[in-house]
Amino acid sequence: MNYITVNDVMLAVFLTIALLFTYKTLVEKDLLKAVIYSAVESASYTVVFTSLFAPDLALAYVAIGVGVYSALFLLVISRTERFEGGDSNA
Amino acid sequence: MKEFLWMYFYAVLFLTMLVAIYGIAVKPNMLKKIIMLSILSDAANVLAVVMGYRANASSPPVYPGYTFEVVDYPSKDAIVSFVNSAVDPIPQVLVVTAIVIGLAVLVFLSSILILIYRKYRTLDVRRLSSLIKEGGEWIE
Repeated sequence: MNYITVNDVMLAVFLTIALLFTYKTLVEKDLLKAVIYSAVESASYTVVFTSLFAPDLALAYVAIGVGVYSALFLLVISRTERFEGGDSNA
Repeated sequence: MKEFLWMYFYAVLFLTMLVAIYGIAVKPNMLKKIIMLSILSDAANVLAVVMGYRANASSPPVYPGYTFEVVDYPSKDAIVSFVNSAVDPIPQVLVVTAIVIGLAVLVFLSSILILIYRKYRTLDVRRLSSLIKEGGEWIE
């Protein structure tokens, strides 16, 4: 019982993708692109939940993490500003 | 090899949470802070489910031989083998609650963000702190 299954490989790959897109969200100045990167991160966590035998969480997450979060952040961007100020203009 | 793989899972998850906490603490834009907060809650949920996972589990946490037609109760051996091979369902149930509560918190924070932008015309916390120190520049 010490062999590596397909589930484990999928877990490792998609957790790494989520880490990479978290970093890209951190360094992105355009908030619209940051929202898209966080949606990709939520989608990869959906695949992780499916590999962890939690299909109910995958169903809830693909609706909330990809749909509702992105719509909410896009609403906030449309009401406020799109670009994050790089230098301190205080 | 398997132990190394599980240590890799935990390391990647903790690193994701660390990057998200760095973003919340350092980035000046408040919408960026909220996006990183949502990523932090995602990583915490995945960490809880990973802690309840069992290696080489072969089925979802539903008892397999139980249908509407057959009304026999499972034998003791069947229950023992099922408990020895199923994943832990309690973190999954808790994480469903945590997802919904996180959504409510994010909607609340976003409404506060829109109100702040209407009053002060900025989302930068440095400009906001200087504006509030000056006595508040109210733009209607």
